[in-house]
Amino acid sequence: MTPATPLWEFVNVSKAYPGVLANDKVNIRLMPGSIHGLLGENGCGKSTMIKTLSGVQQPDSGQILHNNNPVTINDPQAARDLGIATVFQEFSIVPTLSVGENIFLGNMPRSRFGVIDWGQVNADASRVLAEMEVNISPETITGTLSVGEQQLVEIAKAIAMDASMVILDEPTAALGEDEIERLHQLLRNMRRRGTAILYVSHRLDEVERIVDEVTILRNGRVVRASGETEINVSKIVSAMVGEDIGEHYPKEQNATADVVLEAQGLATRSGVKDATFVLHRGEVLGLGGVLGSGRTEIARALFGTDELTAGQIRLEGKPVSFRREIDAIRAGLALVPENRKFDGLFFNFRASGNITAASLGGLSRLGILNLWAEEQATHELIRDLEISTQAEEKTVNFLSGGNQQKIVIARWLFSDSDILILDEPTQGIDIGAKIAVYKLINKLTRAGKAIIFISSDHDELLAMSDRIAVVQHGAIVRTVNASDLTHDDLVRASADNSPSKPEEEFA
Amino acid sequence: MKRIFDTQLIGPFAAMVIVALVVALTTERFLNPGNLSNLSLQVSIVALIAIGSTIVIFAAGIDLSSGSMVALLTMILAQVLKFMGIPLVLAVPLILLAGGLLGLFIGLITAYGRIPSFITTLAALIAFRGLALTFNNGSPIFSLDPSLEPIFYGKFFNIPLPFFYLIFFYALAAFMMNFTKLGREIYAVGGNPAAAVLTGINVRKVQTTTFVIAGFMTAVGAILMSARLNSGSPNYGQTLELQAIAAAVVGGASLAGGRGNILATLMGAMTIVIVQNGLNLNAAPSSIQNVVLGLIILMAVGIDMWRVEISALMARIFRRSSPPQSSNIEKED
Repeated sequence: MTPATPLWEFVNVSKAYPGVLANDKVNIRLMPGSIHGLLGENGCGKSTMIKTLSGVQQPDSGQILHNNNPVTINDPQAARDLGIATVFQEFSIVPTLSVGENIFLGNMPRSRFGVIDWGQVNADASRVLAEMEVNISPETITGTLSVGEQQLVEIAKAIAMDASMVILDEPTAALGEDEIERLHQLLRNMRRRGTAILYVSHRLDEVERIVDEVTILRNGRVVRASGETEINVSKIVSAMVGEDIGEHYPKEQNATADVVLEAQGLATRSGVKDATFVLHRGEVLGLGGVLGSGRTEIARALFGTDELTAGQIRLEGKPVSFRREIDAIRAGLALVPENRKFDGLFFNFRASGNITAASLGGLSRLGILNLWAEEQATHELIRDLEISTQAEEKTVNFLSGGNQQKIVIARWLFSDSDILILDEPTQGIDIGAKIAVYKLINKLTRAGKAIIFISSDHDELLAMSDRIAVVQHGAIVRTVNASDLTHDDLVRASADNSPSKPEEEFA
Repeated sequence: MKRIFDTQLIGPFAAMVIVALVVALTTERFLNPGNLSNLSLQVSIVALIAIGSTIVIFAAGIDLSSGSMVALLTMILAQVLKFMGIPLVLAVPLILLAGGLLGLFIGLITAYGRIPSFITTLAALIAFRGLALTFNNGSPIFSLDPSLEPIFYGKFFNIPLPFFYLIFFYALAAFMMNFTKLGREIYAVGGNPAAAVLTGINVRKVQTTTFVIAGFMTAVGAILMSARLNSGSPNYGQTLELQAIAAAVVGGASLAGGRGNILATLMGAMTIVIVQNGLNLNAAPSSIQNVVLGLIILMAVGIDMWRVEISALMARIFRRSSPPQSSNIEKED
């Protein structure tokens, strides 16, 4: 390697928030033409570093060097002027505007009279999208796109400004396998042109595939600087967590031969075409497939959210029909939705209110709640699941993603559901919390519960499922034992015969 | 227990006390027993209606219809008492039922018709005022029933009856919001309707119920209004809906839904009425009173929005040491 000048360098940068030292003398060198992974558990200080480099906040001490010259980045506009583009985890697109408008937001090409030059906007946006090999019209209203496509628009914004430094914070959290591949191809192209890329992700399998070097943070400090660790999932995990965590996927075999649920030829207007499968007591049935293949829709069909247009669900052999979610809940089903923030949590409640929300009937007599029993039961669950004890006093918006996810699952432990549908339960949570969710899955299956597990992380899906049903275009095309499949088989099986663009949209 | 008298009450309570102190110090007649009992009469109608408005707000709705509904219900009460010869003991429950039914009607259209409550109740605000005018050729009806007035002016142990209505209905509402399944479901629907659906809560039914409660409480207010003036008029209750919403907001209820304490609404209503009373006693013109009311609403919401900044400022002023540890609160994710 050539001892080139770093494009950007942090020298002993520190930043404190009230009560916590978020960055403690961190150093990082970001080289042009290199994809640099920034890794660590939630709360380790990654976001703080990103915010400092994008001009959102100022460091308390230390230096930021641009081509070896000290600079201060006063605000996000200053960062943009220095060629830094940041794709934040939370979308910053405006859903009611067109794709072209979003790409050039704040920087619209104007004609001589100061009027927005729409021809130019759409032409430039088309050029960027074509370069990305994304088949979206610049005139499409962004809110009508799938979450994955919106994420690509977000990335298009960074490309359109022709940045020399691109920061991506969890860019793939909402993307399907083929979209991730497309993004990675794009990043490789940018790398070839000499762009420096800082890449933050919890999906270590893809980090392994794409990055050239890694910096690992723990508790605000750099524990492995670039070049100090091999780019290898297990090495990275132990550096992040600070101990050897042993088995990354602690799978227990608890499946029995008792059938608890049978779905026969399910179809809905939302895109489920032919879903047929059986689920056994103690079993984890994984639903594999690309984003938009209809996995979430199958979950909605089972849970009574979407009306069945064909097919039959049987519970322990008895035919059932759910008109609403409450019917499914009463029959012992539970759904942990894909998006815990929008569909799962009550941010105005503490842990207790969130945990009991689906069981208020059982907690009350003549409509009056037994608050003492509520606190007692949730106190035990919080302890058992090792949820932060802050959850008992504070509303859940103060908790980390991992704690929040445990609370949503705890809701269905409390209601004593027999069949749990977990839709992307580990999305956006750190390794430690992921392992806690896996252990929770074991605990549930050990108690004889059955689980339908939806995940876009293929390694996790393979490791934690007993059997895998492959979903394509809303139909289950085959069901196989998880142990008979490899990662590549699953990718190929889910992508077989699939057109380049999924038909259904996710909201 | 800790939830009824929680920290959400501190701010509105402090505001009420401060306002009362300022008025008491600047106005001699404020603390006269006569004035104080007059205060509880003044606050009663708006504070009772505000119970319903607040519960609708808790479920992330808004009720703009109550002022006009008061007018309509006083006209119905006047009609049945004066021209149909129905006795008062029957007329009162009839009006309460009518209020509940009007609320049910609004609630069904809102929840099942999927029309935002701002629109349905705005339509009702306009339509109910019009309906009130269809009675008695649009003229007020006076001298309804001599036994009507004691409902408002009556006293028990020398304390005005409306004071007891306030205690009764606020206690009932606080019990409902904090100790019952329905109360919890109202907060859940207001906090996150999508999550409420997925936990099996019947969101539409809950939303409808909040409007039934609001209609019922508006009927209570309408009966007191008629009793106070022994009459019914299509002009009663102008801007009452806004005063009721103001009481909720000054009490700290979030218009986004899911957050707030019903007892704080009583304090919000008291704060507003004490300020009005102080201005009255100092002979301030009514134009100024409205300006002041506007400023109070702005201040109450402002203090709520800037709570974090204000408490940080307070912490810096009162103790130089570092603020409480927050290391478990993860800033990422």
